[in-house]
Amino acid sequence: MSPIGRVPEEFDVLASELEIHFSQDFTSRWSDLKFEEFALRAFNAQFQYNPVYRRFCEDKNAVPTAVKSWRDVPMVPTRAFRHLDLVTGDHSSVRMVFRTSGTTNTTLAPGRHLVSRPALYHASLLSSFREYLLPDVEEIKFVSLIPSPVDLPHSSLSHMVGVAADTMSSETHWLVNGEGVLNSIGLRNVLNDAALEGERILLLGTAFAFVHWLDELAGKELRRLPPESRIMETGGFKAQTRNITKEQLYQSLSTTVGLEPHRIVNEYGMTELLSQLYESNLTRPNEIQAGHTPPPWLRVRALNPTTLEPVAENETGLLAFFDLANLGSVCHVLTEDIGRVIDGKVHLEGRFPNAEPRGCSRAMDQLMASSRGTRR
Amino acid sequence: MTRDIFDAWTIPASVEVPGATSAALGTEFSVRSLSIDPRWLNGLADILIEGSSRLRKRKAADLAQILGIAGSRFLKEGDPFRTKALELLPRASGLSAPMARAVLDGMAADWVEDRLRGLLNNEFGTSDTLDGFVKQNGCQTMAIGADLCVQIVSGSVPGVGVTALIRSLLTKAPTLLKPGRGDVVLPVLFMQALAVIDQDLAENVAVLYWPGGSSDLERGVLDRASIVTTYGGDESVESIRALTPVTKRFVAYHHRISVGVVGSQALTSGLAEQAARDVARAVAVFDQRGCVSPRSIYVESRGDITPEAFAGYLASALEAIENDLPGGDLELEEAAALHQVRGAAELLAASGSPGGVYHGGKAFWTVIFDPDSELRCNHVGRVVRVEPIENLSDLINRLSPDKGHLQSVGVAGVGAELEELAEELGRIGVSRIAKFSELPFPPPSWHHDGGSPLRDLVHWVDLEEVGD
Repeated sequence: MSPIGRVPEEFDVLASELEIHFSQDFTSRWSDLKFEEFALRAFNAQFQYNPVYRRFCEDKNAVPTAVKSWRDVPMVPTRAFRHLDLVTGDHSSVRMVFRTSGTTNTTLAPGRHLVSRPALYHASLLSSFREYLLPDVEEIKFVSLIPSPVDLPHSSLSHMVGVAADTMSSETHWLVNGEGVLNSIGLRNVLNDAALEGERILLLGTAFAFVHWLDELAGKELRRLPPESRIMETGGFKAQTRNITKEQLYQSLSTTVGLEPHRIVNEYGMTELLSQLYESNLTRPNEIQAGHTPPPWLRVRALNPTTLEPVAENETGLLAFFDLANLGSVCHVLTEDIGRVIDGKVHLEGRFPNAEPRGCSRAMDQLMASSRGTRR
Repeated sequence: MTRDIFDAWTIPASVEVPGATSAALGTEFSVRSLSIDPRWLNGLADILIEGSSRLRKRKAADLAQILGIAGSRFLKEGDPFRTKALELLPRASGLSAPMARAVLDGMAADWVEDRLRGLLNNEFGTSDTLDGFVKQNGCQTMAIGADLCVQIVSGSVPGVGVTALIRSLLTKAPTLLKPGRGDVVLPVLFMQALAVIDQDLAENVAVLYWPGGSSDLERGVLDRASIVTTYGGDESVESIRALTPVTKRFVAYHHRISVGVVGSQALTSGLAEQAARDVARAVAVFDQRGCVSPRSIYVESRGDITPEAFAGYLASALEAIENDLPGGDLELEEAAALHQVRGAAELLAASGSPGGVYHGGKAFWTVIFDPDSELRCNHVGRVVRVEPIENLSDLINRLSPDKGHLQSVGVAGVGAELEELAEELGRIGVSRIAKFSELPFPPPSWHHDGGSPLRDLVHWVDLEEVGD
């Protein structure tokens, strides 16, 4: 499994150590010291084995001997993923390519994230997925309104659901195809069966897919799903066909399938980050609106938009992430998203049009919008 | 910290004032807007329309005089209206205080009697055509303004609202103006200044701010208007257009961008630095928010000074300009975009691509040398891109993708090819070619986005020889 090429042993050692921690060490919050140690080792590796990033850091006089805290590691803006392949290590070790969608701004090329360490990526995504969506059961039936990774091989969102399904699903139903067409009859049958047989399910989709489906149902309520069912929702709320608030969508979903609103968990991710953040309301139903929780190997800060210095707790700023799962590319990423950080959790306030509400979910919105267009 | 509260409206005295609500605009400034509903707004529109019979009895030339008196108060040092404007503008528009002064001086220069009379003459030959039938081209003809001109401005460039208002008043059209969010101060102050001189005329105008996209409010007044003008991004113009009945004259000033071109004749060791200073000033005024702000500068490769070196001069000039015209505040999303483009440019440079980037750290100015056209974007906060071109016809190829959104082109050192270039630029939609020093403030009679500032606001009635 060792990557091909000239990547030295110490880099592999770090990756393996992180992989073990990602798989086993979710529950305890990592100490600052522990995070710092890993983060600086990751920076060292990226400085050494990512020549573009190295020059970028050198221009800022941020060399490993001078950088004493992960906070001082130079940040790469998400937009850079549109222009460059930011691989740390040998390019021949790249195993997957995830693309962000093009935006409405046609002057921007789509971005892409080259993943050279899938094992690390999978360890991160599986731990978080289990923690926030399946803390109480080993397996569950997956009902996905996100196209399968076979249909959309370059979507990190499809990949994530596929990998999670491989290890945690008793059965998986992919009900939106690669062209964005929803199999409404299939979906209704699957939900109906689950309701009648009392089999709990995990329903997954983007906000837009849910809006599209609810529009089709036109207010019709379905049989109540078993109460231990759950929903993962992701993506932005400025859907392409009509605007809807998160509260309205959750209320409407909740009424339609007969689940408590706290059974709906929002996932926040982006192609540029290989870890995801989730709302913790499934495990802590009293903490609705408590924000998105990062895994222990990801830290987030809100920064002053002028100085890029951290703002005070609970103040609004630009969000920057240090994600150790990004070991194979660059860990410290500056986004265009804005929000507040309270007790290490993110309270999102806005995702800007040019910032992807996760590239692939936007791509799916466009797919669904166009598939709907052609059917009329 | 004191928070100023500014009442963002003026309405005719006969209209009942509904309640008002405040909304923060920046950290030190709040705007109070009237809490209006469609019924109230329609009633206001009807009152404005009723007033049109009085307004049409005025002479256009007299209107120019009165509007000019009101406008000139914004230029006179020590005048309370100018003082108030200079005090409020930085907080309301995010411009720095020296910038606000420069912007006010530039905009208000066109609000004086001479310029307004000049504008009337330019547009109509004689302003008499607005007052009655005049023999022109062998026929009696008259220019008739709107019963009600509704102007919806969305944008943050201060002064646009007043200019819009003056234009429609010169055509004797009662006017309902919704100013842009960052431009609420000047139209209200202008109307106050007008009311001091001519209360009657001021009664023909309402200035009201409401959040854009309130289609319930907008539909009724658009229905009552005979001419609708909109200024703003493509999306907002599109949404107003969709609400406007087909029988209305619709004048659209949609999203526009401007660029610059520096030809080899300005790229000598003696001239290049001055050219860079002129470009820097055009970039600095409005902090790149204006449609006249040059987003990209195309520099010819065959001058003594290379495009890359010119980018360096431009960076030095922008740094120097921070002293006398410091950059203003950016909104959060603008700052976010700035860091994205800066960081991406730095990484591209680190990757060995031929580009480079200079920036002012906490000052927002940023020069991106971008030979591969990789970093095109909507720039805010004094971000400017420098792109080399082989020759001037290369320029046309590079600009063609933006056809439909091009407006002004600043030029320096183009020499004898200027006229030919201007025609080619015109064919891809450019409507103005000017020196960089003139770029931020077009003359009042300019063909704004290729149209006619006043003639677009009237309809003509021809009285032929009837022989009775």
